Amino acid sequence: MVKISVLQHAPSTHLPARPGDPTPTSRNLDPLMHPFARARERTRALNAVKMERIFAKPFIAALEGHVDAVETMARKPGTLNVVASGSWDGGMIVHDISLRRHILRVDEAHKGKISGVCFADEDRLLTCGVDRNVKLWDTREVDENGAGPSDVRKPLNVFPGKSAFNSIDHHRTDPIFATASNIVQIWDETKSAPISNLSFPTSIETISAIKFNLSESSVLASIGSDRTFTLYDIRTGKAERRIVMQMRSNALSWSPTFPTTILLASEDHNLYTFDIRSLKTPSQIYKAHVAAVMSCDWSPTGHQFVSGGWDRTVRIWQEGRGTAPEVYHTKRMQRVTSTLFTSDAKYVLSGSDDGNIRIWKARAHEKLGILDSRERAAIEYRESLKQKWKTDAQVNKISRSDFLSLFASVYIVADRQLSSLSRTRHIPKPVHKAGQLKRTMLEAQRVKEERRRKHTRAGESKPTAEKRKVVIAEQS
Amino acid sequence: MARAQKPKQSRRPQAKSLKQNNLRGFAKRQSLKSQRSSKYSESSDVYEYQPENVRRSKVKLQLEKDELDGARRDISGSEDEDDGPKRNGLRPRLVGENDDEGGLGSDEDEEIDSDEAFDESDEERFAGFNFSTKTKSVAKRKPQKRSLQSQNASASEGEDSAADDEEEGDPEDFIDVLDMIDGKGPAESADEGEHTQKEERPSASKARVEGDDVPHLEDEDEDMHDEEDEGISSDESEEDESHISPMDDAISASGDEDDDVGTSLHDLQSFITNLDAGQKRKAPDDEAAPTTETGEARRQKRRMLKERTEAGEENEFAPHRGATKLNLDDLLNPLASSSSNLLSLKKSAKILTSISAKNQTLSAPLPQRTQERLDREAAYQQTKEEVDKWSATMKKIKEAEHLSFPLQAQPAGRTSNLELAAKFKPTTELESAVDRLLKSAKMREEDIAQTESLKMNHLSVEEVSARRAELAKMRELMFRAEAKAKRVAKIKSKTYRRIKKKEKAKIAAKLGEGSDDEDMNEETRMKHEVERARERATLKHKNTGKWAKAMRARGDLDEDQRRDISEMLSRGEKLRRRIQGIGSGDESEEGEDDTEDDEEGAADRIKASAFEELAQLDKGSEGEEDSGRKGKSIFEMKFMKDAIARDQQRAKQMADDFVREMGESNHEDDEDDELTGGRIEESSGATIERVGGRVTYRPGAQQSQLRTVNSLASDTSSITLRSNDLPSDVARSVTPSATSPIPEKLGIATEAPNPWLAPRQDPAKAVPKKHEIAVSKDSASVEKSKNKLRKKAQKHEEEQSKARNDAAVDISMSNVMTLGDNSSAGPSKPKTRSQSGNQRDDGDDDSDVHSEVEEQERLLDRKGKGKANGVKAFEQRDLVARAFAGDNVVRDFAEAKRREMQEDAPKEVDTTLPGWGSWGGTGTRKAQPKPHLIKKVAGVDPTTRADYKKAHVIISEKRDKKAAKYMVKDLPYPYTSKAQFERSMDIPIGTEWNTRVGFQRGTLPKIVTKPGTVINPLEKLL
Repeated sequence: MVKISVLQHAPSTHLPARPGDPTPTSRNLDPLMHPFARARERTRALNAVKMERIFAKPFIAALEGHVDAVETMARKPGTLNVVASGSWDGGMIVHDISLRRHILRVDEAHKGKISGVCFADEDRLLTCGVDRNVKLWDTREVDENGAGPSDVRKPLNVFPGKSAFNSIDHHRTDPIFATASNIVQIWDETKSAPISNLSFPTSIETISAIKFNLSESSVLASIGSDRTFTLYDIRTGKAERRIVMQMRSNALSWSPTFPTTILLASEDHNLYTFDIRSLKTPSQIYKAHVAAVMSCDWSPTGHQFVSGGWDRTVRIWQEGRGTAPEVYHTKRMQRVTSTLFTSDAKYVLSGSDDGNIRIWKARAHEKLGILDSRERAAIEYRESLKQKWKTDAQVNKISRSDFLSLFASVYIVADRQLSSLSRTRHIPKPVHKAGQLKRTMLEAQRVKEERRRKHTRAGESKPTAEKRKVVIAEQS
Repeated sequence: MARAQKPKQSRRPQAKSLKQNNLRGFAKRQSLKSQRSSKYSESSDVYEYQPENVRRSKVKLQLEKDELDGARRDISGSEDEDDGPKRNGLRPRLVGENDDEGGLGSDEDEEIDSDEAFDESDEERFAGFNFSTKTKSVAKRKPQKRSLQSQNASASEGEDSAADDEEEGDPEDFIDVLDMIDGKGPAESADEGEHTQKEERPSASKARVEGDDVPHLEDEDEDMHDEEDEGISSDESEEDESHISPMDDAISASGDEDDDVGTSLHDLQSFITNLDAGQKRKAPDDEAAPTTETGEARRQKRRMLKERTEAGEENEFAPHRGATKLNLDDLLNPLASSSSNLLSLKKSAKILTSISAKNQTLSAPLPQRTQERLDREAAYQQTKEEVDKWSATMKKIKEAEHLSFPLQAQPAGRTSNLELAAKFKPTTELESAVDRLLKSAKMREEDIAQTESLKMNHLSVEEVSARRAELAKMRELMFRAEAKAKRVAKIKSKTYRRIKKKEKAKIAAKLGEGSDDEDMNEETRMKHEVERARERATLKHKNTGKWAKAMRARGDLDEDQRRDISEMLSRGEKLRRRIQGIGSGDESEEGEDDTEDDEEGAADRIKASAFEELAQLDKGSEGEEDSGRKGKSIFEMKFMKDAIARDQQRAKQMADDFVREMGESNHEDDEDDELTGGRIEESSGATIERVGGRVTYRPGAQQSQLRTVNSLASDTSSITLRSNDLPSDVARSVTPSATSPIPEKLGIATEAPNPWLAPRQDPAKAVPKKHEIAVSKDSASVEKSKNKLRKKAQKHEEEQSKARNDAAVDISMSNVMTLGDNSSAGPSKPKTRSQSGNQRDDGDDDSDVHSEVEEQERLLDRKGKGKANGVKAFEQRDLVARAFAGDNVVRDFAEAKRREMQEDAPKEVDTTLPGWGSWGGTGTRKAQPKPHLIKKVAGVDPTTRADYKKAHVIISEKRDKKAAKYMVKDLPYPYTSKAQFERSMDIPIGTEWNTRVGFQRGTLPKIVTKPGTVINPLEKLL
């Protein structure tokens, strides 16, 4: 029999199995077919960073509604899109950030500024103001009193206090909340008077913010205008420890994945993370803001956090990396008084002095929307290439976010050189100038210190580590 | 007590206010008392006094607190920081100087006050002791404290406690001491604690008291002295106080006269005795009781105690007295009948008793701020500990290479069968039909219970119980069976499984025997068929299957795998035998054993059967031919006939070949050894040569078959081991006699000379024969080529041997030395050759390149023609020298280096263009080179070059710009060594250089979040 061998042409090998599928690609496994691996990957890395910069457009939208500066914001636990905000004029708005509309709006929730908002549970919202009241609201479309979205809302409950409140935070699980005025008070939702007062004996100053720990929910922390950070525990009912710092803190936030870590936004332009087990020194200092940091919030992953400052920038930091954060700014955004991460760690909100809440992407170049699996693979490949080639000079030059802060301590006088290099990322001129000024001042300080040391007896004055300078005293 | 008094002593104003308080309280009490009947006035008096005592003795904490409160009201906590010892240090002075009743000038009116108070208190106390002699035991506590205090005044606290213990330890002593101190006690109390009471006490029962004073005076005095001896010894240091004491005495004496004249005599006596005892002895007395009036009172009271105890009336207010101490139980006993909350009272009292039993003085509480600080510290530690429980989790998160958020994903709940059954609702047609059926048969879960109960109705009690028992038993059995099945299912042991399987098979066989034969036979046959088919499909009997190949590739094998392989081989063997018709009839294992036992016989048998079969074939073919002629069909046609004829011819030829082979195989046994010893080439027709460490392959047919047992071992070193060899090797090693009926002479057990399985000829024998046979038309081409090859190989070999001879001579250097001397070269040659051979041998031993081919070459060398090669060697050398004549490598290299250095050296280049910037024409002088036109090239100084003073290298100083892109200045941060970094950069991560999975793993980001998923903070999972 004559056998006939036919050149076979199987469509299944090179056509998609189903209509929607990607076309199958074949690949030659022979390494000789793929030479110059290093050079090719480097080029790809370079392209990847360039693309990152090209597609870095973080701003998504601005939510309007407030007449005055947005003082405080809170996200509803367990949701992605519900965020409440309170402003200086006493207006309170609950936003749906995905639809960009107001779920609830109360124009005169408090007389004077609303200093704190937080969600009690599902649909109830607590606000506190300088009018010495804490109010409980129903945020549903139609509340218990039958008031619809257009009606004037009445609070479900009012908890009167003795002095102006500065901050409020709700316990994660129990119907308990804490307020900060000149003392820390713990309230039960069902009782009109505080169930306990917590204060450090010698503290007489105002307490500016308070936060419950998220995982260890009975632990409580506050910061005060007397430059202190105080730790409380509602189980022992005591103020347990206090540290006094060089400058006062403006905001604090507990890490959601590292329960011992707390982040403080300080007046001295820095942010500090502390491990509450050892408060003597901060575990990390985050330096890049050029004015006081007004607010901070951890990403739900605990590996990033956002901060907003008096310098009209929002910065997104990587945990453990003390420099070179991502900088967000717009022309019209004024001082950022409140910042927030959404609970899927994808977006960042910033409330500023101009009365707007802005929505930003947490990763500036991220593509929004549904991703094809091949596209995702490509993105992941690009990311890892960038990571791998970050040591390359060219790649690094393009990708580095804030050159100024990175090399601030290295370059001293060569200002022109610096400015030419710092063009990799645009920063508003005032911020840039303030940065320059700050650098100059710090440099002068350093030089002076150095000279002083030079002229004292040898070994008399040793340079202290930056971390050791932060905490002045730890009190128990 | 001691503590309680402290603040008072330190601040007078307090004392005053307290006094006033007490005053007020007393007035109230007085009013209450007046309301009561006169008959019980005494007892009520006692009542009134006793709580006072009790309060002093046991509830001192309370009292002290009250007092502290009072103190705090007036004075801020400036003194709070005082520590215990400090206070103790202060106390003596305080007692001596600041006592209200001390009356040392500092406070005249106070003294007067106390004097006045004394009267009242005196009678008051008497009244108290009058009625309840038992109160002595209650009061006993108070004196103790007094004494303590007095000691405190002089000595340290340690002594106090010592004294305390002493007092408590010995009941006899205790009483004595008590007696004595008791006298002192009230006096002191008058000073310190109860002055207010004294002031307020009514003077009603004064007269009675005085009468009782007298009788016990003397013995008491003695007691007192004893006591004082003890107490004072430590007090001697305090001089000023002892100085003061006589004055006090004097004063007090004068005061005493005012109060009662009757006792003056005793007073005098006591005074005298005091004097006798000496100042020092008196000191404590005075100290503690600044006035002798108090001493008086003491004595009086003492007397009263002794007397009155006997006649006292026993009730709860005046409980029975005895040698033992008064317990709280004694006081509580009367309440047993009346009060319901006695238990709780007792409980609270228990604490008191326990306290009172041990250390009576509590140390002062720390100042509030200190206390709170300590509390905070403790609380912080607690919180730290609590929070520290997260450290393991945090560490894990921190060290994780990849994190997928949310970290604490909701666990997917597993639904149980019960749950499903409970929720089940028939949806499809089938389900509903089944349900209907079940319903009609009343077999559903709920129905079953119902029917059960219905049936139960008709039964008697015994039957029901029996049924129940049976059911229970069944349930139990079922449960056990289920449990056992579960347990058994968990067993992983292979041997267990095997045993189980065998058992099952046995049982099945038994059952099969039991049942009708035909049916089962059919079934079993089918089963066997299926098994066979599967075996064929899986190639479990061959070593060409995927698995077998994998095993072969795997080199080292463990026990199991070896067993499997041997099993496979034996199976293949069995099959083969079956095909040969030996084991086919009976497949039982016994038959197998038999065949194993006599291998040689088996081989013969195989042959015989093969011959028979062939004969049959021949016959069959002839018969067919005959029958074929008759029929008229397509086979009748010519081309078909031709084809059939051709086929038959081929078959015949094959059969012939086989017959020949089989017939002569016996003869070849002897030849085999020679063959293996000699060159492979001879037997195979293929050439494997080694020329200077390189292996050359020439065409040769069926090499794998040609390999003999002996050559295998020797070849491993030079030629990479053929993977085919391995399993057979292994098989041989593991099962030397494993079911192999084929004699070992064939070398490879698996390649049995079965004509059906292996139709190819065994060339080891076939070739020489074929050589002789006239090559047939059909199978000719291969043979022809073989023949040709063989010839060629022979020729080649000859040439080689010649060349080798040349080379061997060439290598030996000694021959060169004996250049031209033919006579000497001749004899020396064999020696040198042998030397060189030896040398080579050594070298071969060392190196792993050792092949028999080489050895053969050497042998050939030795046998070689034995011509003298010295002249030839010289020629060779000369040739080489000529070939490389004028090849001055070293010099060229040095020259090149010099040039390189010159090029790189710094130099000045004159860039003036002639004719530019200068005058032309005749008579012009040559202008000096202008400095701005001289360009200086900063090169590399020869002395700073990297290859400076390194004669045999040139290191270029030029910078490679393209390579520079891939250089880093410093080692980047996380890496600790250059090698590490280079390694990491070496491995590309793209798809072109990685597998799909490798790529995915390599590019997986560290933190993965899903869009639209809420990430909640970490939660404590309990």
